[in-house]
Amino acid sequence: MPDVKLVGLKKSYGDIKAADGLDLEVKDGEYLCVLGPTGAGKTTLLRMISGLLVPDEGQIFFDGQDFTRMEIEERKAALLSQTYALFPQLTVEENIMFGLDIRGADEKLKEQVLISMLDLVRLSGRSDAYPRELSGGMQQRTALARALASGADLLLLDEPLRALDARLRISLRIELRSLVKTLKMTAIHVTHDQDEALVMADRVAVIREGRILQIGTPKEVWDEPATPFVANFVGQSNFFTGEVLQSSPFTLIRTPEGTVLKGRPSELVTGTTAVLGVKIGNTDISKDRKGYLKAKVERIIFEGRNLHVDLMMDNGQRISSKVPSWRKGKIAPGDVVDVYWEESKGTVFPMPPNGLENELKVE
Amino acid sequence: MDSLIKAISRKRFRTGWTAFIIAFFLFFVILPTVYILSYAFTNWGSIEQYVLNDPAMLDLIIDAILASFQIAAIVTVIDILVGLPMAWMLVRKQFRGKALLDTLIDMPLAVPTAALGFSSAIFFAVTPESLAAPAFALNMVTSPFLLIVLLHVVFSYPYMVRSLSAILVQIDQTYETAGRTLGASALSAARTITLPLFRAGLVTGIILCFARSLSETGGTMIALATMANSGGFATGPTLIGDWKHDLGINPDLAAPLAFVSILLIVLSLILLVVIKLVIMKVHLPMGRIWPRPEKLFSRGWFPKTKDGLAVFFLVVFVLIPSFFIFTYVGSVESSSFDWGPFAESLMFSFLVAGVVTVIDIALGVPLALYIAKNRTGKLSEVLDVLVNVPLIVPTAALGYSLGVFWTGQNIIPTYDVLLIILAHVAFTYPLVVRNVAGAVEEVDPAFEETARTLGAKPVQAFRRVLYPIIKSSILAGAIMAFTRSLGETGATQAVVASAQTAPVYIVNLIKLQTSSGYYTAGLACIVLIIVSFMFMLALRYITNRRAH
Repeated sequence: MPDVKLVGLKKSYGDIKAADGLDLEVKDGEYLCVLGPTGAGKTTLLRMISGLLVPDEGQIFFDGQDFTRMEIEERKAALLSQTYALFPQLTVEENIMFGLDIRGADEKLKEQVLISMLDLVRLSGRSDAYPRELSGGMQQRTALARALASGADLLLLDEPLRALDARLRISLRIELRSLVKTLKMTAIHVTHDQDEALVMADRVAVIREGRILQIGTPKEVWDEPATPFVANFVGQSNFFTGEVLQSSPFTLIRTPEGTVLKGRPSELVTGTTAVLGVKIGNTDISKDRKGYLKAKVERIIFEGRNLHVDLMMDNGQRISSKVPSWRKGKIAPGDVVDVYWEESKGTVFPMPPNGLENELKVE
Repeated sequence: MDSLIKAISRKRFRTGWTAFIIAFFLFFVILPTVYILSYAFTNWGSIEQYVLNDPAMLDLIIDAILASFQIAAIVTVIDILVGLPMAWMLVRKQFRGKALLDTLIDMPLAVPTAALGFSSAIFFAVTPESLAAPAFALNMVTSPFLLIVLLHVVFSYPYMVRSLSAILVQIDQTYETAGRTLGASALSAARTITLPLFRAGLVTGIILCFARSLSETGGTMIALATMANSGGFATGPTLIGDWKHDLGINPDLAAPLAFVSILLIVLSLILLVVIKLVIMKVHLPMGRIWPRPEKLFSRGWFPKTKDGLAVFFLVVFVLIPSFFIFTYVGSVESSSFDWGPFAESLMFSFLVAGVVTVIDIALGVPLALYIAKNRTGKLSEVLDVLVNVPLIVPTAALGYSLGVFWTGQNIIPTYDVLLIILAHVAFTYPLVVRNVAGAVEEVDPAFEETARTLGAKPVQAFRRVLYPIIKSSILAGAIMAFTRSLGETGATQAVVASAQTAPVYIVNLIKLQTSSGYYTAGLACIVLIIVSFMFMLALRYITNRRAH
């Protein structure tokens, strides 16, 4: 059950940098989710750890040993791919036993492992079936059992739930995590689905353009985003720019229109330009109470549990808010409402060097 | 076993093995194939002396080469005209007997071209008295040029139909349906929407037909020997075959031989590039639509006539000539037949084809894996192009070039068998590589990658995961290589003039121009057809099973 350490990994394909100085530490027995948009370098990261790809620069350590150029099969790092890659000519049983067969394990051990694995993934009745005869969920569980039975210590999961339908995907999240935890394996799980990452991970690493932007517990990443990108990618945010007036005990910034907004304390220098980000779920609106600023309701989208409200501020900027559905009758398009948030829910960032728009772009 | 697997899994061994495979391909396949080109630089003097300064010789060569290319061009055009409706029918229409028609198309592929040449010539051509052709033979063609065109259509037709239908299957019919819901008639939709999507299939079909026609030696020689008066007509490959035979007595022929080979190789390679460019780049004015006439031609008698003619052509110009040999052997008076020499030559052919197939598989599969798995690499791209070279170069030129190459070096002993095997490897190797590379590219790389992360060494991952998936393609490639080797005449004769493989034996029998010679040749052809046919059935069985 290794800890994995990546130091300054670089990999480029022509002009595209899939890994641009990746540093990452995964603790022994940890379930780490790597979260990022398509093209952020998630798969490249997994392929370098598994050995399918050799980095241009940097090192990979397993338990302190340099494994950068170690053969794929010596790493004990099993990959579970998006498509599962169940061997079509082998039955469920033969697929699960593949790793042990290769290593020439003795029959007794094999039988033991097989029975416990089939039991674990609830496929005992289907051991003679071929992959094509299984449902998506069963295929997923077979692939998982195969990876677990191979004797691997490290599990690399490449969007393992992607090909499943929505309901199954949600129910398998908890199941997958608890299986890995039971077997005390280290897992690195790559996904672009923020809900999946938040629910499953011990820690979440947010990746973009081949670099880790932030690593922390789901709560940390959600409540204390390190950059505007993280604030927006993990739960949508509204952003306001302005000049820093003070930075403690809470931060005050003044927008060009003269409105003063409040956020958590920061270390920003007074007088510099800053960005204040507030999750749309933490952005509240009201007709009765006084807020930081006023905005006009443009449209209201009913989402079941919540209402998604799009608003237009006086300066022409659009923002959004999520409020509980029971407030449906109380607001209507055209209303002018006050916008406010708890100061602890506002995070302040220095103005990104490339501008806010570039910072938020999801490629 | 374990230590063996460990040893061959080492990185250094793997790199070495890959280097060896690529070296084999370059040194044993590509280099000998085009080696003769160097003759133009080293022996330009003798080419000037024996060819360029000898107008009779030069005329002879130019006539033969011109005839070769004219025949190939005419044959290809005919194949397109009659192959397209047939391919269309096979893919798009449902009718009774479709499965039968589908099988019939492939029949000529099962007949070795030597047998095909004899069979077609008896059917089409005016033949000498001693042959005693049956009264119901067509017995009309007196022009050797026309006879060769007809013969080449017989064996290239299936290639065209197969290439076209392979692409047609992949073209989604919904485009055409969409066109028709927007008001286009069936013909307009097919012509303006589907046909332009066809180019890839057309390129493959044209190149295959052209190359096969340009390359054909045995069938052409036999057909010319069978007809009553061929008047010294020759094509490029038959010149090579004849001259190589006479080279022993007349060493002056070395320069003309090299010259013909060089011309064939260079022109065929140029042609390959030109065909590709022309078809992919030139836009035919397909967009214009004539709604009224096209609507008229979309229903009623026109489509029916078109389909009827396609079937008629298949029967009269392909199937009957292919199998006319059976009626011939059945109808003439039997003469005594000495099985001994033929059985010997057949055994020899089998031995060569067997060894060739084993070499092709052992060294071709690794190259195919390399090409398919390193798609983005420069080297792999170059190899992928080079693999086509031996498929395009006429086999007689290839054989002569290879013979000159190996006898000129003192690297390996030049036993006849060895030279013949090397020549056959050169032109069958690409068949295996293409087949297997194509199959490997279809397989999701995630299979092998996952196997590796589960602890399999590279050999184990191949053996247990990839191999079972591509097994049938390897087998299909092997059978193709085997039958091609079994039927080959041009390369065999060009590399060793006195070789006694079964097709060469038949050629020599017919050249005797005696009744018993013809009869014996006929029987030998039938044996060869039956043997090849069994392999063909095996191939169909395997590929069909793969499809399900």
